[in-house]
Amino acid sequence: MSCIGASHLSKSYGSVRAVDDISLSVRPGQVFGFLGPNGAGKSTTIKMLTTLIPPSKGTLNILGIDAVADPLRVRHRIGVVLQQPSYEPTLSVEKSFDKYGMMWNVPKTERKKRTEQLISDFDLKHIRKKRNEDLSIGQRRRVQVAREFMHDMDLLFLDEPTVGLDPGARRKLLDYLKKKVETGLTIFYTTHILSEAEYLCDEIAIIDNGRIVTVDTPNALKNRFGNKKTIRIRLKEKRPDMQDMLSGISDCKIDFEGGTSITIHSEKSELVLLQVLKTLSNNSVEIEDLSAVPTNLEEIFLKVVREDAPDN
Amino acid sequence: MHPIIRLVNRNITISLNPGFLIWQIIFPLIYIFVAGFAYAPLINSVPLGARDLDYPAYLASGMIGFNIMNSTLVSGIIIWNDRRHGMFEQIMSGPFTRSHYILSNICTIGVIGLASATLIALVGYPVFFESVEFSLVTVPIIIFGAITGSILFGSLASIISTRLRSSEGFNVIINTVFLFFAFVSTAFYPAEGAPEPLRTAFYLNPLTYLVDVIRAGIFGGITEFVILEMLVLAGLAATLFVIASKLLTRLDF
Repeated sequence: MSCIGASHLSKSYGSVRAVDDISLSVRPGQVFGFLGPNGAGKSTTIKMLTTLIPPSKGTLNILGIDAVADPLRVRHRIGVVLQQPSYEPTLSVEKSFDKYGMMWNVPKTERKKRTEQLISDFDLKHIRKKRNEDLSIGQRRRVQVAREFMHDMDLLFLDEPTVGLDPGARRKLLDYLKKKVETGLTIFYTTHILSEAEYLCDEIAIIDNGRIVTVDTPNALKNRFGNKKTIRIRLKEKRPDMQDMLSGISDCKIDFEGGTSITIHSEKSELVLLQVLKTLSNNSVEIEDLSAVPTNLEEIFLKVVREDAPDN
Repeated sequence: MHPIIRLVNRNITISLNPGFLIWQIIFPLIYIFVAGFAYAPLINSVPLGARDLDYPAYLASGMIGFNIMNSTLVSGIIIWNDRRHGMFEQIMSGPFTRSHYILSNICTIGVIGLASATLIALVGYPVFFESVEFSLVTVPIIIFGAITGSILFGSLASIISTRLRSSEGFNVIINTVFLFFAFVSTAFYPAEGAPEPLRTAFYLNPLTYLVDVIRAGIFGGITEFVILEMLVLAGLAATLFVIASKLLTRLDF
């Protein structure tokens, strides 16, 4: 049984279709990444999945419950960290943890225990007595994410949870989430930072213009979309004739940057590289540095989104 | 614990800050003791039905209604703050329904309204001690006033908070409306001595009805007119509650 089963889900606002016939299946214990450019329909999808808004069309099953017919039952079993900050401005960090736990009907002794644990896990000791309104954006975000762990849940929705966090705090949070997944938690994760998705997610869906363009594991996506390799060569000396020199090489796109470096993009990178090196050697061009850029998710994301653009 | 009780607990915790307590306790006390005694030499007595009250007693009883109205501002502030600071969406994505949220707000203002009315009644008691005419209906009438007043003004504050996003707009509108209610009413002075247009305006104001009902409960004199005022209060509170609930139900994310 899947944790999230969405079938032909759509959401329209008047004549505008924010989400257009998407289908998703998220397995238990999985971190499911949901990527897409701004305005692609990520937030609308999350709002439907968290039962904040009903879909215009389609069926939605969360944790085996019909989420359209019985949203409250779903909400008892999920945790949600929305993109927008949410906090009680006048409460201190520890008090807001306690009150949040109380809202979720967590017993008082358990609330105390969890508050201490989260304050330690999220490095909040120095700000535990501070009022939420006095925190920095990053601190507030950390508190918001930590607070969600005051209650038990089977499925956690995280909408860009690392916005405003410094790299250290970001990595700590990702590692914390990984640990939680090991205990059986399922996470639906949206982010703009693709290295995060690569680090954390078992499966990734890319949404654009309200439609899911592709769903796969990060490695499978790389294999499918990452056949075009990138090679960078830096020269010892500036060679203004470089462009003419390499003009005869086919099956590639070469970017010339200031006469001292070139970037080659090709699906037949090995063959093209041999040709380039031969040409450079014949013309006595000395190479200072040569590197192959591994395909990362960011390139795949850009490629998928570009291919999906209406012009294409 | 029921979801509504959990939300009421949360609402009361976030509302009870020093600023609110000063607003709720210090201001009415200043009105009762400073304005009450300062104006007493100028206003010898105020007619109330068939009897005359001294001004501090008249004002102290008016302050109960005034304080109930003030305390209901909490409802508008809670809703407005929840929307501004993302807690509305957060609560709605948790184990609560919109009905829980709406009813918890009403219960919160009911609790705060009752506590506030009790507090001012206790503080004002020595001032109007001599004139109090306890009867079987005194306490029920004050409770009726506190509950209908809380629902009425709380719903009004909720309606305003659902329509406005900016803090400036919210503050200006809420202060203007509540200033009108406070001073164009019988909370501070009787309608009888006022010029005709003002007197009419007094009776377009629900605070006048609330204060009249509370005074009738404290000082006796439940007339047909007071019963009519109670009916108007109840009807208006019910109508505004329905409107506020509908608007809150339609609030989008």
